[in-house]
Amino acid sequence: MSNITPLRRAPTTGGVGTGKMTAATTTTAGQKYHQHSTSILKTLQATEMLDTKPVLPAEIIATILDYLPVPDLLRFARTSRRYKEMVYDDTRWVARLKSMGVWDEAEARKRFEEAVQRRRQQTISSGVGRGQPIPPPSPTGTTKRESLFFDADLEQERRQHELLQIQLQKQQISDLRDGFETMKVSGGGSGGEPPRDVEGLLLVVKNARSIRGHARQEYGRIYGALAPFYFDLVRARTHTDPLVFKVFRDPDRQARMLANLRSFARSDWADGAEGRREKLEGMTGIFESAVLREFEQGYEFWDVDGRMKKYAHVLEVLNPGSSAGVELFIQKHPIFADREVLANAMDCVNQAMADSITLEPSRRFFEVLGRKVNEQGEIIGRIFPRPQRVFWGFVDKVREEIMVEYITPLFDDAHQRSIPSYLRAVSGIFEQTMLFLRTLTPPKGGEVDQEARAKEIALRIFEPHIDLYFQDEIDTFTAQAEREVGEWEKKLSEQEASAESFYMGSFANRQADKKDFLTSFKKVVMMPVTVLPTSLGLPIGSPFASSKPAATAAANGGPSTPSRAGSPAPAGTPGDRASSPLPGKAFADELAAKAALMTSRLEGIKSLFSIEVALSLVHGAKASLGRVAVFIQLGGQVGGEAREMCETIFVTLLRILGNGHVKPGFDKAVTHLSQYNPREVSEHEKGGVAPLVTFIELVNVGDLISQMIDVFYEQQLAQPKIADRNDFLDPAGMAKKKFEQMLDESVAAGLNKGIDVLMDEVEYICATTQSPTDYNPGGISAPDSILSGTIPGMEKAPAPRPSAGAIDMDIGPSKTAQRIKDLVASHTSMLVGSTDKSMLDVFNGEVGLRLFTAVCKHLKRQRISTEGAIKLIADMNLYFEYIRTLKNKDLLAYFKALRELSQIYLIDAKHAKEMATIIADGDRFGGIFRAEEVYEYAERRADWYQVKREVERAMYGLECCVM
Amino acid sequence: MADSSSTTKIVLESNEGARIDVERIVAERSVLIKNLIDDLGEEAVLAEPIPIPNVNTAVLKKVIDWCKYHKNDAAQSADDDNDNRKKTTDIDEWDQKFMQVDQEMLFEIILAANYLDIKQLLDVGCKTVANMIKGKSPEEIRKTFNITNDFTPEEEEQIRRENEWAEDR
Repeated sequence: MSNITPLRRAPTTGGVGTGKMTAATTTTAGQKYHQHSTSILKTLQATEMLDTKPVLPAEIIATILDYLPVPDLLRFARTSRRYKEMVYDDTRWVARLKSMGVWDEAEARKRFEEAVQRRRQQTISSGVGRGQPIPPPSPTGTTKRESLFFDADLEQERRQHELLQIQLQKQQISDLRDGFETMKVSGGGSGGEPPRDVEGLLLVVKNARSIRGHARQEYGRIYGALAPFYFDLVRARTHTDPLVFKVFRDPDRQARMLANLRSFARSDWADGAEGRREKLEGMTGIFESAVLREFEQGYEFWDVDGRMKKYAHVLEVLNPGSSAGVELFIQKHPIFADREVLANAMDCVNQAMADSITLEPSRRFFEVLGRKVNEQGEIIGRIFPRPQRVFWGFVDKVREEIMVEYITPLFDDAHQRSIPSYLRAVSGIFEQTMLFLRTLTPPKGGEVDQEARAKEIALRIFEPHIDLYFQDEIDTFTAQAEREVGEWEKKLSEQEASAESFYMGSFANRQADKKDFLTSFKKVVMMPVTVLPTSLGLPIGSPFASSKPAATAAANGGPSTPSRAGSPAPAGTPGDRASSPLPGKAFADELAAKAALMTSRLEGIKSLFSIEVALSLVHGAKASLGRVAVFIQLGGQVGGEAREMCETIFVTLLRILGNGHVKPGFDKAVTHLSQYNPREVSEHEKGGVAPLVTFIELVNVGDLISQMIDVFYEQQLAQPKIADRNDFLDPAGMAKKKFEQMLDESVAAGLNKGIDVLMDEVEYICATTQSPTDYNPGGISAPDSILSGTIPGMEKAPAPRPSAGAIDMDIGPSKTAQRIKDLVASHTSMLVGSTDKSMLDVFNGEVGLRLFTAVCKHLKRQRISTEGAIKLIADMNLYFEYIRTLKNKDLLAYFKALRELSQIYLIDAKHAKEMATIIADGDRFGGIFRAEEVYEYAERRADWYQVKREVERAMYGLECCVM
Repeated sequence: MADSSSTTKIVLESNEGARIDVERIVAERSVLIKNLIDDLGEEAVLAEPIPIPNVNTAVLKKVIDWCKYHKNDAAQSADDDNDNRKKTTDIDEWDQKFMQVDQEMLFEIILAANYLDIKQLLDVGCKTVANMIKGKSPEEIRKTFNITNDFTPEEEEQIRRENEWAEDR
């Protein structure tokens, strides 16, 4: 072997215990040689020679020590001081205790701290009194070491004390033991040993203490107690050999000892440990199966409090995590063959009417099952040391063997027969299952969250069904809703074909109707959630069903006659309206017939969508929702899915109701409205534009539906916390908003059209009812009423005077203005309460503005005399007063200007100059009219041509002066 | 790629200057070399032999033999080795034969394994040493490992008595 430089050997690891195996030898050997010879060369030679042995660093030696069996380890400690230190190192033994699972770090720390405290107290109290000078606690790092020693001393004392006690006990026990020969150590080889404390042996692991600085001693105690049994068992050839089974005859003690040995085996790290452990496991296995056999025999005799209990406890002691006995108990349990429990699931289907399902048999089934399981729970509590675990294992088995077996065929069958009954079955059985699981009374002990367990079990039962169920639920609901809407549409088109229509209510009690309706709706919604609603949407229509036939009857009784009977008074007025010259008569001519048809169609507007349909949809949704919502309590993924499903149902409801029902209705209504032509309609006396009225009715219905949806949302989704009202991304909330928006848009579109129609009507009234004499009594009426035959052109000053008397009788506004005002007012007021404020404002503003334009236009077509001006002013005042009720400032300015404007007609022709001032005075009209415009209106004076020159002169006075 | 790189030859140089070719996968049994390759990159490692200054040729060859035999073993991760080592797996037959060398060589191998950071080899070495100690009296142990007894007979007896519980009965 080549020369190895000593340099390389120098251990590189610094610190404590950097022991070299040969280091000590080298130095001592060197000294020895020194004594023999002083030759330095020789010494060196010797050193070299001895140094050829390689050196192992301390950490490697420490590793080697780990692999040594305990006896060898302790022999190794005897070789030199350095190795003793290494072997005695506390951490080495703590590690072994830890591997056995008996070292408690917290306990060790506590003991340590206690010891420190005690030491301090003693230092203070006794001080020098003990005779032995106790060093004062040094402030530096040595404190710990010292206290450690001190602690150890204390422990020593305590130990001696305990030893005494144990010996005392031993004596007592050995006295007692005389009667129990079998318990004595009977191993022949160990005859010379003093009788062991059997109970102490059993408790040695359990009683192990965690004391720093004493881990070796603790381990020693355990080793001393268990190692003989351990190695004996390993050596044993058959299962009768081992000392364990000879010393202990009682299965309970044998089990405890085996459990001790098993944990002891974990601290055996030496070579071949694996084999030893296997052997031990094998022995334990043999023992366990023997115990299990005993347990089984006890089971067969149903010896609950005797053998079963005893051996269940033995098994628990032997192997705390083992479930062999538990499994045996559960597997062979007689409940799984119990005729009484195993009911026929088909009863639910067979006992019910065709295509229906009754859940009474299943309720009974769950009741019986619950009773049985609770009985068993009580028994389990008596048998097993940890009954909770066993009980839930048992329940799990019950779920698998009994409940699933019951439920699955039932669902499958129901699904085949009819979907609605399937839906009811799933939801209903689920509810019953949860009830069943909640009524279980698990044995005492252990903190298991029963609710969580129940949910978990229910989840496992229903998981395979839930997807299909959700899908069916939503499909059924969608189909049902679409069918309903489809039916309605079909009916509607039939109605249209037969030109039948009906009024449902008058404006007067609309508000009351609505209220009434809402309360009945609320009642429907509030109805106790019938788990299994008898039939979808059956009783719901009732409050409305009554109104419908009545209305239909009315409609049938006198088809559209009442509306047409109120024949127009000013019939045959100028226009070319040949419509119904003879009201009440059958619609002879084509035009009249057309008009009647038109009316009927317009009246039908509000039946374009109906509350009844909406309500039955909502009710269907509620039923579905109620069924799905029970699954939410499951929590977790399925709970989340159920919640989503609820929202989906709601969204679907809104989609079908909104896009499928309400929106087309509105669209149709708007189309109808736009087709409206006042000149084709026969009657205008009713004080309303028929299509607009009906449209506004429609708006009311829409509003009602919207409110209904809102109530539904609040009660079904928001209150049970299915949907979060504050979460703006929530699909249900979003759908609701979208629905409302759609409604608003439709209403807005309709109203837009409605205003057009209204204004058409206004213009029509203006054109047809305003008689020329209204504002110009002197003019046209002159030939009729005034006999003083003046030429119509020159009605300057005196002419009107006499007639004034006749006309002044009626100083109020003209009939036309009255009608216009009534018409507009009735329409605007109709909307109050059904549409929201801002929209109403916009609507009113628009109506006002358009009215203004219409009036202006109308004014320009009139010829107004000074006398007629009074009437005109009265008219304008009427408009003004009306507009004031709308509380719209901007609008008011227009009508104020109009009122001012009307005064120019009052000025006598003689005061042309003043008239000119007024015309030119822009402030007077609030900037609404410019001078040119006012001038234009002034032209409408009946006597304009007389005053024109004067006025112009006054207006352009400067020019005149020059002339 | 990985396959080809694992068979790449790497040259190791003992402290005596002898060069030995090894497959990369074999060399990487040593955590020290593995880290070296990872840090320097393959090119740098291929270009020059890796000097192993603390190990002589004979021992290095022996160690490489072991690595070759064990090249496909699952690498021990740093976390569980503590636990695994406690749960002693017995030395397998091949390793037992491998370790049938004189004591000096055994120590050399252990030192080399320690230096090259080959945990499994180190473990096998330590176990072998532990087996050598097993069943020996303190005096025999001292002889085997050249330990000088610095106890008085009384002290030694004291230790023996302290640990009487551990003696086989």
